[in-house]
Amino acid sequence: MAKPVKIILAGEGGQGVQSVAEIIAEAANEEGREALYIPNFGVEQRGGVSVAYLQIGDEPIGAPKFLTGDIVIALSDRAVRRTKQYAGPDTLFVYDTSIKNIENELPKNAKKVLGIPAIEVSKKELHPRVFNIVIMGAVLKASGVVTVKNAKVALEQLLGYKFEKDPKLRELNYRALERGVELVGQHIVEEGMLNGSNLYWTNLGSEKDFLDTVSRPL
Amino acid sequence: MPEKLIQGEKKVFMTGNEVVAWAAVAAQAEIMYGYPITPQNEIMHYWTRLVPKYGLKFLQTEDELSAGFTTAGGVLAGRRAFTATAGPGNTLMQEPLSMAEAMRLPVVVIVQQRGGPSTATVIYSQQEVTLTTLGGNGEGLRVVYSTATHQELFDYTIKAFNTAWKYRFPTFVLGDGYQAKMRESLTIYEPELRGITMVPTEPFVGRDGIPGVDREPVHLRNTYNVEEELYEVLEKYLADYARVAPKIAEYEAFDIKDADLVVISHGVVSRACKAAVKELREEGYRVGHFRPITLRPLPVEQLREVAGQTKQLLVVESSNGQLDRLVKEAIYGSTAKMFSLFKPGVGVTTEEVVAQVKGIKG
Repeated sequence: MAKPVKIILAGEGGQGVQSVAEIIAEAANEEGREALYIPNFGVEQRGGVSVAYLQIGDEPIGAPKFLTGDIVIALSDRAVRRTKQYAGPDTLFVYDTSIKNIENELPKNAKKVLGIPAIEVSKKELHPRVFNIVIMGAVLKASGVVTVKNAKVALEQLLGYKFEKDPKLRELNYRALERGVELVGQHIVEEGMLNGSNLYWTNLGSEKDFLDTVSRPL
Repeated sequence: MPEKLIQGEKKVFMTGNEVVAWAAVAAQAEIMYGYPITPQNEIMHYWTRLVPKYGLKFLQTEDELSAGFTTAGGVLAGRRAFTATAGPGNTLMQEPLSMAEAMRLPVVVIVQQRGGPSTATVIYSQQEVTLTTLGGNGEGLRVVYSTATHQELFDYTIKAFNTAWKYRFPTFVLGDGYQAKMRESLTIYEPELRGITMVPTEPFVGRDGIPGVDREPVHLRNTYNVEEELYEVLEKYLADYARVAPKIAEYEAFDIKDADLVVISHGVVSRACKAAVKELREEGYRVGHFRPITLRPLPVEQLREVAGQTKQLLVVESSNGQLDRLVKEAIYGSTAKMFSLFKPGVGVTTEEVVAQVKGIKG
């Protein structure tokens, strides 16, 4: 039985990790795959670390939460501290390089720890508001659970009415998605992980489809 | 009339709270009464969003005592009425639900369990099993379905209305915060297309005709003057319950025939247990899984059969033995050795169940 891909997204309230998880889950469902997404939530109205648990597979998903993630993405210092417990020997742990003094807090037992400058890229090249879409691109590239093409369809469904009013927004979101893909992709190429048996590459069922939709030099 | 909310059947992807609201509309529920409490709030939100154009109603009350009593009131008027609550709200609601037991009122209650005791967490638990199955100052004359998937939340919310109105016992759908908040796919459908006919409702009070002349007078009681009078009524109710219990009881089991250890769980925890048993089977462990779907009445015969043919039972739950106590009572006399994995107020993962079984097996 093929196990589902298990993803954890964690960040500060407002960074949009829940909406990213939800969009990916919806897109996977649209593709006819099995998806289960559950947010963590507490009594606080704002503040605190927001964690999203996402699983995507080809058979009905079991328990909604899990002890070890295949991919863990932490976007703040508190998120790193909160989620390093989910790292195991097969985990790709991704964090944002803008987080200060976090080196000693990063998990030691992960298969790979990857720093990406998502916050900086979204601020300088794009717009801070599409930071979560950059992260979405990173998740898609790392996990291969949904093609970028279908993620765009999902974005269109969610934000289409806004895109109609301002087509530039569509471009901005698509660009953010692609930049996110690149941020993870670069590292995979640089470190020769393309041909390995790493989950975050081999799980990419329709690799060609996936790449066709991304206009970038890989 | 506007088009039906659900036409035919379709695959959807939504939260459990949303599923309950859609199921209640599909079941032709007419009114929801409720007071907000996390994690069930969105049942109210979706219900109020879905129903105005179908002429269905919602009443927000001042607290859960009132929500329970108004639901009973809706039922007395012959309406297919329901409410939803959780945690401390479930505690408060036991008073009106005791009255519903006393008067045999078919109220339907959705419970999305949260952490306890008291306010505790708004997140998740399985700590409302004792309260929901045996709460109130009575004898637990009620039916409790414990669901594990969104499909079951849909199926059993519809079924709860029919069980309640057919047998005239308060009926509960026991979910939890995980099921309430998570999103997964399910198929929603018009009940008639699956051969499900909604049991007709009728008013308990305000019927046509002159009482004592055209028809028997209606005498609904939750107060008695003498002990014997109460005893006589309860004997009848308890006999009614015992008679229909085997018809109501439901369970799910697999791989139990040759198992020397059977994992017992209910609700969302069963998802972890099921996956764990499959994984352990692949590694050669002779394990099986048994899951009561009704926690009240329990599928006693089947539980006793399982306990009689296996050597070890492992009860797994997100509470400190609330299911375990029910199981032990049901299988009293069995010589199967009992093990447990209790995580009160916390979710159980597949990995933990696998580790527990391997620990037992050495």
